[in-house]
Amino acid sequence: MKKILLSVLFAGSVFANIQVDTTYAALGEITKKVGGDSVDVVVLASSKYDPHFIIPKPSLLAKLRNADLLVINGGGLEIGWLPPLIKSANNANIQAGAKGFLDISHFLTLMDKPTFVSRGFGDIHAEGNPHYITDPHLVPTIAKVIAKKLSMIDEANADSYAANLDKFLKEWDVYLKTLDTKMATCKDKKVVQYHELFNYFLRAYGFKNYGDLEPLPGISPSSKHTLEIIDTIEKNGIKTILQDVYHEKKTAEFIAAKTGAKVALIPHDLGAVQSADTLEEFYNTIATRLCR
Amino acid sequence: MKKTVLSLMTSVLLFADSDMEQLKLDIQKLQEKVQKIETDNVQKEQENLDAKMANDSSSSFSQNAYLPDIGLVLDMSALNRNVSNTSYADYAMPGFIASGDAQPIFNPDSGFNLNYAEVSMHSVVDPYFDVFAVFHLHPDAFEIEEAYVRTRALPYSLRVKAGKFKSDFGRLNAKHQHSWNFASQPLIYEGVFGPDGISDPGIQLQWIAPTNIYVMAGMEAMQGTNTQSFGDTERNNLYVGYLKSSVDITDDISVLAGVSGAHGKNTSGDSDVYGVDLTLNAQLGSYSSLIWQSEYLKRNMDSTTGKDKQAGVYSELIYNMDSNWATGARYDAIVQNDTDMSAYAGVDTSNLDRTTVMLQYKPFEFSRLRLQYSYDRSKIIDNARKDVSEVMLNLTIEAGSHGAHAY
Repeated sequence: MKKILLSVLFAGSVFANIQVDTTYAALGEITKKVGGDSVDVVVLASSKYDPHFIIPKPSLLAKLRNADLLVINGGGLEIGWLPPLIKSANNANIQAGAKGFLDISHFLTLMDKPTFVSRGFGDIHAEGNPHYITDPHLVPTIAKVIAKKLSMIDEANADSYAANLDKFLKEWDVYLKTLDTKMATCKDKKVVQYHELFNYFLRAYGFKNYGDLEPLPGISPSSKHTLEIIDTIEKNGIKTILQDVYHEKKTAEFIAAKTGAKVALIPHDLGAVQSADTLEEFYNTIATRLCR
Repeated sequence: MKKTVLSLMTSVLLFADSDMEQLKLDIQKLQEKVQKIETDNVQKEQENLDAKMANDSSSSFSQNAYLPDIGLVLDMSALNRNVSNTSYADYAMPGFIASGDAQPIFNPDSGFNLNYAEVSMHSVVDPYFDVFAVFHLHPDAFEIEEAYVRTRALPYSLRVKAGKFKSDFGRLNAKHQHSWNFASQPLIYEGVFGPDGISDPGIQLQWIAPTNIYVMAGMEAMQGTNTQSFGDTERNNLYVGYLKSSVDITDDISVLAGVSGAHGKNTSGDSDVYGVDLTLNAQLGSYSSLIWQSEYLKRNMDSTTGKDKQAGVYSELIYNMDSNWATGARYDAIVQNDTDMSAYAGVDTSNLDRTTVMLQYKPFEFSRLRLQYSYDRSKIIDNARKDVSEVMLNLTIEAGSHGAHAY
């Protein structure tokens, strides 16, 4: 009897899942792939909204309080909302520098790192462009980093994380080949975009961005700058304007009407548009909408 | 035949000979090159050493990487009021502020005001503590508005703060002036706590409950220097407690509610202040939201003339239209004022209230222009009830490292 009770108690502790909070949805999905059944994933930010400006609702404190691990995008993307939440969540595990804090951007080389920063240039990120999640080729690195961290935090399940990672990497490799083949057929590679949100996807597949609708990062379009963009579009024969889900869409529509270019609504994260709920769907949606 | 073979052989030999010569030459050239590189290297090393010696700029003791985050907030205004500056400086708010006791530190004057330059610093001390300091520089005064340490690594969802800090009493008390939605404090806050709110040396303990919804409980022991309600500082006299909870009704609508209590001593006896607050936040888009925030404060206080019972309320509605524009309105009033009014004989001291509206434009996250109009029916000026109307254009900038604002 004692033995049974003991083994039940023991089982309880073995099967107690660890809670991993991720700031954004795609990171959450990769964590689920690697964590499998041993991990409960909580995503903090809704992908309906601008990832730079998430409202620091007190309910997020309740979600952070119990986390064993916090996975952040980094590169300054969360600086406008996450720091006060981490400070007020009273959770020693997830303080920056603690064992349960993981900043993915440290493991990647960010694009467009400015050599000189000033807020006179708008809302630029000193660490470089943080929107790396749109490059599907970076997913394996992210998965490896998360798997490594999970196995450090939860050593008992290290083998299962390694197995999950192995399986996921194989699947992803197959998927990437089909995506790359599909993108190779893409002819028109000239675009403009609202914010420098899709640079990583554009780089991965050899697209060229000719300009942003924002005159400076974080500054709303001005009529002068919009005219310049129209000029650029006409001179270079650009046919696609990349629009995200959370900025105003009037400017892009206005430019489209003037130039005949088409507005493509591109998700910046999982769940930002319909049918982009899995990693594959997310990248497929970007691919299909970019490459018409 | 023989001849041909011989000549062939000699030519081969000759060829081989000249080949050898060439090789030797090549090797010699290579040796020269290596030699040159070696001497160059030695020379360069020497030059480097000389240069470093001549310009010894060791950074082994540099601690620049550990500098605290430093921010600067500037707040200024241009203002027009229907009362002269000297008369306004001595305003009274019946039951709360006697004539001559007012401390209008924000936007006191008709004309131009530089309210403050606020320097804030934050740093991680070590794995166990964070440190914060806010230095409030008025045109003619320096004030440590806050300076405290906060724990990073306590277990059981506990956190301790110690130093001088703004109490988390109610919804508004802990917020700095530049993060208020209006340039002025609600009447009841000004009446009960004065312009700085409850801000004292003390210690704070906060705990977040292990529940799925947010529940936070906090306790504070403070010096109680605030003479508006407390001020008997023969020993520390102020104890504050609160319970706050927040629920998301939908993904986009959240409610935050709190109850607070403060018990302290003034020079005539006990002071108790109670507060209830409710905030509703509806997110309409990434840059658009509707916020309804209300608070009720009640004070029971022993005074020289008996037991005062006073209460007030404010309610405000803020509409953030987009990342640039916002507008809002606030109504605040004193709803109970049972206290000695003998100083105001012959003056109507009932129905003290104020209405404020504002329109704000933010060219960018770190600068804000706010046009505010208020109609204030709570003031006694030059011994007569005087309705004060005031219009101001307020400019606030936040430069350097500035922490994200809390909810």
